[in-house]
Amino acid sequence: MKGYHDIVGDGGSRVLEQVAEKQSRITKGLAKVRQLVAVGSGKGGVGKSTLTLHLAGALRARGLRVAILDADFNGPSQARMAGVEGALFVPGSRKVALPRTKNGIAVFSMGSLIPESEALEFESAAQGESHTWRATKEFALLGEILESFEWGALDLLMFDLPPGAERTVQFADFLEPRTSFVLVTIPSEVARGVVARSVAALSKGPNRLLGYVENMSGYYCRDCNAIKPLFVSTEPPAMEIPCLGTVPFDPELAQHCDRGTSLAELPETPVGRALEHVAQQLLNSLEPTMEPPR
Amino acid sequence: MKFLCVPCDSPMKLQTLAPPDGGSLSVVYSCPECGYEMAMLTNPFETQLVTSLGVRIGPDTNANASSVASASVDEPVANARPSGDEKIEKNASTSSGQCPFAAMIPAMQQGTPESAGHATPANGEEPLPVRWTSGAETRLANIPEFVRPMARTGIERFARERGSLEVDEKILDEAKDFFGM
Repeated sequence: MKGYHDIVGDGGSRVLEQVAEKQSRITKGLAKVRQLVAVGSGKGGVGKSTLTLHLAGALRARGLRVAILDADFNGPSQARMAGVEGALFVPGSRKVALPRTKNGIAVFSMGSLIPESEALEFESAAQGESHTWRATKEFALLGEILESFEWGALDLLMFDLPPGAERTVQFADFLEPRTSFVLVTIPSEVARGVVARSVAALSKGPNRLLGYVENMSGYYCRDCNAIKPLFVSTEPPAMEIPCLGTVPFDPELAQHCDRGTSLAELPETPVGRALEHVAQQLLNSLEPTMEPPR
Repeated sequence: MKFLCVPCDSPMKLQTLAPPDGGSLSVVYSCPECGYEMAMLTNPFETQLVTSLGVRIGPDTNANASSVASASVDEPVANARPSGDEKIEKNASTSSGQCPFAAMIPAMQQGTPESAGHATPANGEEPLPVRWTSGAETRLANIPEFVRPMARTGIERFARERGSLEVDEKILDEAKDFFGM
């Protein structure tokens, strides 16, 4: 009797072929994107979204063409922070044009589509038991977004990932092996421990781990014009990946983020300089072809 | 999933996908050698699992052009949604039947063909309807379902603000330029 692998095709539904075709369309849609960089952590609340937006801004200021895909569909924050809440989506000749920030960063965020008073829901044949299918549905949605929006010619497409070490690995599996990862932690032993788990999990796959950023590394006191400790100082454990830099917390900057004000509009601060440093480290860790266009 | 006719040792072919029933798909396979038919009946969880892949389920229309009519897997999903919100159910069965967010995007209620151009403005006055040319409609149809209602509403507002009651491809290009896209 024939076995599964003796039979070519699946009898006519072509499910596997359709999945492969979708993946092929995604790859084609991203063909003109020079670098894919996912910003993750594993831990929630460490400032992945803020860092993603500010790094994108710093890279954009260097003349790079940058886009952000807010992959945190259940807790999207880029729309508000990037100032594209309620942005207009315009149908192009074949795909949807992306909203842009004032400084020209293209942004897709579910927050542009769904009010903050609403949660992301999907229609379902199965009432309840969403843990059995929800992740699959969300990745299908991610595929549709990658496939259907005009990413065009970009130097960098940054993915703002949701929390969860296992989710970070799922994104690595879904995105192309050419997607590089930057992990974000804060100076707490708990956060570092979770990020170390993400490092361990990602290290088993083909994706490059560019390094980690320690966010909220002290806070910037404007009165003293000094960086002061935010967490009880502990000896940072070896993360086994390069440190791209440390970024202090700036309460005023956080407030501006909530209002959708970009870093470029703010006066230079130690936090701004730290972000500039991380952006440069990020560029250095990518290919030499990432030099800003002349 | 593949099905094998054991007596013939021959792979069975997908023939039809029956209309959905309570979230269950009825998929009929037959053996091309002996003609034996069998039906695979999925439970709602299995239906949802395969639906979540974002693929079309049914006979390959290219390979089986003469097959009995098949149903998209999205239809049973839409029909199997829990009852309780008839307005949303109505939308789901019209322009946004496949939209996974039909249940929760308020703007979607303004995005159906019936209501196109009739969105109620803040001052409560009924705005003049906006007509879409076939070229503009085609471009709208090319974009994902979950963005379409918001795109329609936003573009119509953009057109009205420019004194136009027609959305054509020129207006769409103008909007792209205006927003620096």
